[in-house]
Amino acid sequence: MIDSSFDRRDFLKVMGWGGAAVALSGCGNTSIEDGKETVVSYVEAADYVIPGVSVYYNSTCAQCDAGCNINGRVREGRVLKLEGNAASGINRGKMCGLGQAGVQHHYNPDRVREPLLRNGDRGEAIAWDKAYALIAEKLNGVSGDEVAFLSGGVSGHLKVLLGNYLESLGSKNHFVYEAVSPAVVRAANKKAYGNEMPRFSINKAKVVLSFGADFLGSWVSPVHFSQQYAQFRKGVNGQRGVLVQVESKMTLTGANADRWLVVRPGTEGVLALGIINALGASGVALSGDAAAASQGYDKARVTSETGVSAEHLDKLVALLKERTPSLVLAGSAAEGYAHGSQNAAAINLLNQVLGNVGKTIEAPAVLPFPQMAPAKGSSLALKSLNEGLAAGKYKVLFTYGANPVFTAPGSMKFKDSMGKAAFKVAFAHYLDETALQADLVLPLDSALEDWGTQVPEYLADGAQINIQQPLMEKLHPETRGMGDVLLALIKQRQADAYKGFEDYYSYLRSALLQNKGALGGGGSDDDTFWDATLTSGIIKLAGAAGTLSASSAAGLKLPEAAAADAQFPMHLIPSVTANLRDGRHANQPWLQESPDPLTTIVWDSWVEIHPKKAAQMGIVEGDIVEVASKTGTIKAQAYLFPGIHPDAVSIPLGRGHEAMGRYAKGFGVNPFQILDAVYDQETGELAMHETRVKISKVGQRVIVVKDEGVIGGKQDGRRIALSKTTDQVKLSEEI
Amino acid sequence: MSVGTLLENWSEFRHFHPVDDKPHDPYKWAMSIDLDTCTGCNACSVACYAENNIPVVGKEKFQHGQQMHWMRIERYWSEDDREFPDQGAQFLPMMCQQCEAAPCETVCPVGATNHTADGLNSQIYNRCIGSRYCSANCPFKVRYFNWYDYPTVDNVWPAEMTRQLNPDVSVRGKGVMEKCTFCVQRLRAVEVTAKSEGRIVREGEVQTACQQACPSSAISFGNLVDPESRVHKQWAAQQVVLEADEQEKNKEHGTSELRGYRILEELRPYPSVMYLEQVRESAV
Repeated sequence: MIDSSFDRRDFLKVMGWGGAAVALSGCGNTSIEDGKETVVSYVEAADYVIPGVSVYYNSTCAQCDAGCNINGRVREGRVLKLEGNAASGINRGKMCGLGQAGVQHHYNPDRVREPLLRNGDRGEAIAWDKAYALIAEKLNGVSGDEVAFLSGGVSGHLKVLLGNYLESLGSKNHFVYEAVSPAVVRAANKKAYGNEMPRFSINKAKVVLSFGADFLGSWVSPVHFSQQYAQFRKGVNGQRGVLVQVESKMTLTGANADRWLVVRPGTEGVLALGIINALGASGVALSGDAAAASQGYDKARVTSETGVSAEHLDKLVALLKERTPSLVLAGSAAEGYAHGSQNAAAINLLNQVLGNVGKTIEAPAVLPFPQMAPAKGSSLALKSLNEGLAAGKYKVLFTYGANPVFTAPGSMKFKDSMGKAAFKVAFAHYLDETALQADLVLPLDSALEDWGTQVPEYLADGAQINIQQPLMEKLHPETRGMGDVLLALIKQRQADAYKGFEDYYSYLRSALLQNKGALGGGGSDDDTFWDATLTSGIIKLAGAAGTLSASSAAGLKLPEAAAADAQFPMHLIPSVTANLRDGRHANQPWLQESPDPLTTIVWDSWVEIHPKKAAQMGIVEGDIVEVASKTGTIKAQAYLFPGIHPDAVSIPLGRGHEAMGRYAKGFGVNPFQILDAVYDQETGELAMHETRVKISKVGQRVIVVKDEGVIGGKQDGRRIALSKTTDQVKLSEEI
Repeated sequence: MSVGTLLENWSEFRHFHPVDDKPHDPYKWAMSIDLDTCTGCNACSVACYAENNIPVVGKEKFQHGQQMHWMRIERYWSEDDREFPDQGAQFLPMMCQQCEAAPCETVCPVGATNHTADGLNSQIYNRCIGSRYCSANCPFKVRYFNWYDYPTVDNVWPAEMTRQLNPDVSVRGKGVMEKCTFCVQRLRAVEVTAKSEGRIVREGEVQTACQQACPSSAISFGNLVDPESRVHKQWAAQQVVLEADEQEKNKEHGTSELRGYRILEELRPYPSVMYLEQVRESAV
């Protein structure tokens, strides 16, 4: 054998690198896929492509709005894998499963590939210039008030451009809609802390008491919170952080709690006031508001209303008193009721009583460019859009980044309302339920093909603007970036003002370069600043520190518990899972086949029911049960799940598509369809947890397709997953 | 030879790999997973699909037990018949434990699975004849068999999806066994780089895909024989010894204040993955 100091592998590597000048740029990886039918050697290789050598570009994850900074691996002009950007203060090099699946969004075989114009039940491919001309024609003679634009959460320059376009139309009707959003909590936070989203420092808390906030799974910025959680568990000097989760249906976060307290649905606020009352009784000084609000919430009442035992309540109060600072979080389970605002206010008040405000709840950074700050979605926006549509107020409707026909509560009958608009344009990646109702569907670039800037709502690490840049050439020649489409549309109205911008890229570049000084590029020339910006993918801003303003909780009062509904005795909890969220990514097969962490079920929906309740009703695993509300009925397989209140059933959101693509269509059921029209009384947001249902067996049984074995979650006496209590370990001696 | 003699002098009969006088020089790849920070989120599993060209088999084949997840999250409930799981669940990331005396290796009729000098349990796809003895003999059930030719099965990698496939990893055809490789393609790349620079791989130079993704950094991976590596330090601090079938720290009381353990250690496969026990607060 030859001397291994210079082996074949090294030799090939040397050959591969030989003489290549590596120029990294974020765009224009051209022509790799061209001529793929014939094998030709790289006689004239593009100088940034070295066969067999990967290059990496920074960009921003677009799978949710948390704004994780990502690093894409690109080889031979193809993006292969996404990793976290280690320099990011948000996700610190880490990534969730949903984010990993971003490549499956990009390479998805069911993407829309060309503009489609409705012809009866079919969509006919048309050219972009015809599509633009058609939009101009349809907008002709329509007043701005008659145009509505529905979008998901938008931020950065896209938001600015969208605002400018609507202004050019004379329209103020921008509806920002997110089916799953912490809108009620935002409003309660604004009242309690003067900020909709303060910074939560889980890592600084010794106790985290979370009322249904699934911060490890799907709440606000889960990858960032997971990093904080890891530090919180390691603790300081071996003092490990304690997590107590209060909810009616176990979330992923609940499954990681030291103590999981199941409460009767909707009584989260009662427990919070009960804890305040008990803290007051044990000598913690209460403000007048806190004392007034918690008056009468004694132990007997609280235990009987919530179902939490006196023993657990006592232990929790003692723990909160002894270990400070703590952190109390109000999440989606607490806010999903008609009294959601009061629930959230009671929970936030607990933070003030415990003195956490300013310690584990801190002021967020202020973005120096408020026009780029995210427009935050809520369900209230959809409600007002729906009312306008139903009244025939809007003639032209644009939809982008939302799928309201799938996610609107069934009681809203959004599909019918949408039909009343004369001309509907959907900017879409897939032919989803909403795009199918549109008259014109315009295909968009994937997030890995497009330019953009993004600002996350939750500024985990100070003010920053995230850069999104193409990781590869477009897969389909006839898709367009959303920014490019908006620019083309706005040029129809204000050609002169925008004629200097050939495309969205040039708009973005000049907009950022104009503000170079404020963006930290003061001393450098344009190209240097631009290259540095694209290389890092993050623009850190010296934002002013915000302030917290603790405000009074005067007048906080929880309503009496609603009377039981004899006809619909059970609570329906539509659960938000980390992978599927509101269902917009259901056509990514990794997510469909990734088992739900708690039930391990794949590719289907299920109805979670407590084993005790199931035994009463004679239901066993796999029985098809009918879940009926006032609004509608769905049928799905039963799964016996111990982590749920016996008076509730839970069905995950995100599945049950009737369209969208091969991996989404026909798998599972859509609980949005049976949600009643109940709204939070203060904010008007949809109360997601207020729907009451009855369940019955339909007489069929299926095998539940899941990852756990036949003995379910039992170890059967084998020592596989082991656990100790804190008094059995010495964490301080670990590294 | 009696069974007693065999058991008494086990190490003489059941050798570690490699068996020459310099085992694990310069590498012994190993892992540790902290079950107290693992949240069970499944990010590791999806990252593994992305890195290792794992086919999505679909609902029907999943029902038949033909799923291919090299990395899976097992979820356990406490078994004391309480009404609610009021101390949460237990999550356990499970993948090939890269055993030093792997039960799968000895039963392979064609030597398709065997041990590498850097301490991996390797699988040679084009030598495998699909007897599946290895899977039958694996106590962790982490070997996955290709019942179908997934590259040609509808909707596994349709059209553009093939372009996502990692060119550093073989796409497996019908009839071969596969499993977690500790991302051997990443290991080999850095080993070659290090060798060309006349050094060994430094701590932090390579990450497995699951470790890199893990949002709570529960997974550590590295060279167990490098005293500078985090894995080495963790194993040492937890007093878990690779070549022991019962750890000294447990001999007296059956348990210790240290959380490190290896699953099914008593079967003597000498796994290369150490887990750190989950912890629950006793005061609440």
